[in-house]
Amino acid sequence: MPHRQIQICDDDSSAALITQRGLQSLLGDRYCITIASTPNAAWLVCAHGNIDLLIVDPGSGGGSAGALVRAMHAFRPMTPILVLTAYDTPGLRAKMRDLGVSYYAAKPIDFKDLLPIVTSALRMTPIPDAFFPKLYACHHR
Amino acid sequence: MGELEHLQQRIAVLEHRLSEASAHAEIVEREAALQMSRAVDLSARLSAILSISAALLISRDVDAVVQLVVREAVSLFPGTSAAHLFMADSEQSGLVLRAANNPAVIFNRPSEGLAGKALLSPRAMLLVGPQLESALSDLREDQICALRDNLKTWPPLSALLAPLRVEGQRFGALVLYGGVHAHLYHPRDLPFIQALADLAAVAIDELSQRNRAAALQRDLTLTQSLHAEAQARLSAAQAQILQSAKLAAVGELSASVAHEINNPLYAARNSLYLVEQDLDPDAPQRAFLAIAQQELGRIARIITRMRDFYRPARAELAATNINALLRETLELVQTHLRHGHINAAADLSSEIPLIIAHADQLRQVFLNIILNACDAMPDGGDLRVKTRLFQARSEAPMTIEIDICDTGVGIPPEHRPHLFEPFYTTKAHGTGLGLAISAHIVTQHGGRIMVESELRQGSTFSILLPTSDV
Repeated sequence: MPHRQIQICDDDSSAALITQRGLQSLLGDRYCITIASTPNAAWLVCAHGNIDLLIVDPGSGGGSAGALVRAMHAFRPMTPILVLTAYDTPGLRAKMRDLGVSYYAAKPIDFKDLLPIVTSALRMTPIPDAFFPKLYACHHR
Repeated sequence: MGELEHLQQRIAVLEHRLSEASAHAEIVEREAALQMSRAVDLSARLSAILSISAALLISRDVDAVVQLVVREAVSLFPGTSAAHLFMADSEQSGLVLRAANNPAVIFNRPSEGLAGKALLSPRAMLLVGPQLESALSDLREDQICALRDNLKTWPPLSALLAPLRVEGQRFGALVLYGGVHAHLYHPRDLPFIQALADLAAVAIDELSQRNRAAALQRDLTLTQSLHAEAQARLSAAQAQILQSAKLAAVGELSASVAHEINNPLYAARNSLYLVEQDLDPDAPQRAFLAIAQQELGRIARIITRMRDFYRPARAELAATNINALLRETLELVQTHLRHGHINAAADLSSEIPLIIAHADQLRQVFLNIILNACDAMPDGGDLRVKTRLFQARSEAPMTIEIDICDTGVGIPPEHRPHLFEPFYTTKAHGTGLGLAISAHIVTQHGGRIMVESELRQGSTFSILLPTSDV
């Protein structure tokens, strides 16, 4: 019976599926990993469920993903967020850092490099004050 | 008897007439001799004037002209105890003695002394008696003393003055001091001194004009050369701007494409990873998976380079030692050089200062060029890295030149204009981005990169980086 939940928000269905399958394979059955193709859908899951980690790709626009991150901070401040993006730029990094995102990785990243970031995010102590200045894991390739 | 008396009277009359005629003949002879003497004198003076004018025509130097005029004036006017030629200084605020048969005084105001009178006079003047005394009395005590020391006899008995003038412009004066009673100057001398002064004025003016023309020609040549240099710099800057704009456009496109490829690449690479997890360790498919992963990895590297082309890897500006960077880069490729039978030598100037730069980016530039040099020497060769500090122009900042020379196959002339264009490559597996990125980085540092190459002789890449205060 899974007792931890990871929500993926990615509008690229193939990439989302691979992230889900890969993490599922690496983390095992104790984790339930679900996919939402839009920030709205992801927010509905996060708002009503007990999500342990949100993995979000802001996409090329990044606007509504930013709104999702802000909503998470406002209403689910203890849920860690990992931004996993194919559109890595210094501007996006700065924007996500300003939004309080603690974990950031740029695609294409191999699972063997992604896994430590995910496990680190999942182990994060759920104390709100410790959320913002946390270690900023910045995986670039 | 009457007839005899009559004859005697006639004889007496005739004798009287004869003596009158003789006396008149004597007078005429004296007059003729005087006129002859004057004619000889005049002829001599005219000859002298002609000689002077011929000499002045071939003179090439103002000082030579004034010396000649003064020397000839003394011989042309007997009894001259001193001859002075003055010229107004550049600001017309004083008369400067340019030549004298004796050293003499300099007048601070153009109106001072006999020279001042000569300068202001419309034509030549003869001063004698009270006029000369009055003119001399205008001088200060020190000027009188200096003048007295310079004259053979004091006070002068007469003086000839003439302005140096050309087309109504007066710019100097000729002054002769007469000191011998037997040769007092005469009004007949006036046309000669004015002629001498005019000849001198024309010669000096022509030389001055010639000097001014030469100076203007030099200025024009210098201006033309500066203009050509500025034009060349402008053209280079425009070409650089165009190249930068092209690079920026290509870079933006590259970055955009790179981003779009990242998602499928991520999916493809990790799909292979997941497939691999389910395969037996001995499954023959593993070999193909490895190839697929390797090639996807290659795509990922190309994509990364394309993205970095638009947005170079993050690096901090810091005080950077170019020589140390070059040594580190050579150290990095040491094994590569050894395997390629390439002898590397560094000739690094100790004068190279620290510059503010992105060290990682410059290291990437040096590495790119050195690795290209290695590729150009498949059978080995010599690699020489040299630095020097120079200043192109006095107002320009000091520039560091880094030369990386190889003895390789050289670059064919048709490839040279495209070397720094993105995606232009002659290598089978090249991306065509190495030199484009290098040029981009160097340009971002305010520098330039150039190449010289000879087929079968080798190539030299020169990087010019401006220095800055650290």
